[in-house]
Amino acid sequence: MAIKSYDDMDGFELDVLKEIGSIGSGNAATALSQMLSMKIRMSLPQVKILDYNKAIRELGGAETIVMGVLVQISGELNGLILYLQDLNFIKKVVKNLIQQDIEDYEDLNDLEMSALLEIGNIMISSYINAISSLTGISINLSVPVTSINMLGAIMSVPMIEYGYETDKLMTIGGTFMCDGDEVYSNLILLPDIKSLDYLLKKLGVESE
Amino acid sequence: MKICRAPGILVTYALGSCIGVCIYDPVLKLAGMIHIMLPNIYENRRDNIFKYADTGIPETIRKMEAFGAIRNRLVCKIAGGAKMFEMNDNSTIGNIGARNAESVKAVLAKERVRLVKADIGSNYARTLYFDASTGEATVKAYGRNELKF
Repeated sequence: MAIKSYDDMDGFELDVLKEIGSIGSGNAATALSQMLSMKIRMSLPQVKILDYNKAIRELGGAETIVMGVLVQISGELNGLILYLQDLNFIKKVVKNLIQQDIEDYEDLNDLEMSALLEIGNIMISSYINAISSLTGISINLSVPVTSINMLGAIMSVPMIEYGYETDKLMTIGGTFMCDGDEVYSNLILLPDIKSLDYLLKKLGVESE
Repeated sequence: MKICRAPGILVTYALGSCIGVCIYDPVLKLAGMIHIMLPNIYENRRDNIFKYADTGIPETIRKMEAFGAIRNRLVCKIAGGAKMFEMNDNSTIGNIGARNAESVKAVLAKERVRLVKADIGSNYARTLYFDASTGEATVKAYGRNELKF
């Protein structure tokens, strides 16, 4: 039987998705570590099914300013991938890549913005690569777009995209920490329900 | 959706392409606020009618009327409807803000509620406060001056 909403998934299916998240995040962390030549630690990826407000609270509150990189995936899997990075993380990245110190988001120039966008792109791509090679599903990525603004507004983009399907979000994501400091960046994979079904089928864990 | 009387202040955080609609009865000092996410409800969806412009706004007005508001007196201020990500193609993500704004305006016209002020469009998130004692809306946005209207 196909699942109709995120709530329909049982523990086993969630575990499988967690594993997917784990592999994807691992790849992304490796890519990040290579780019920055820094030690990156990652937390155990979590799969969460949250309503919109709760998701925002967990990620730091609606008015927190973050930089989001958004990619649309299409092909056999449809959905959105959102990569969120906070100011501390951005400071680290800019310092390591371009040897510039920045104080605030407003200090970012075009080059730095472009570098951060590329970091997001690489993270997202390595994540998707992992999923794609594991399942044999071909996935197309759109050109990444970015926005620096309130978390609530950035998160509302996927929420609205699926607003007709569900009031809830499923996030498969990992948190990365680098250099011993607790700087966070989050990768959130949001497949639509049909794609989720397809993904589970491909992995052979279709629910009875 | 929330309704309050003076001296209350209603607030909705981080409006992206969503639209915050404030409806106000200046005589009663009665304010209603609703956070619109999508322009239209689908026939088969009857979950949360306050998410949609075409069902949420009439229902808010109806509830305000139950608290004694008179339709002729109602005025409305809206904010939001931004384009958070510059998508290249014409996907829903790119233009949902504009579609929301269009739908909200159409619904307000149909409901015969006067839209007095609006702060919509552009590409930044807004937090909207609405003071029930004065009927004044305040928009706070990242890296911008506070806007009162």
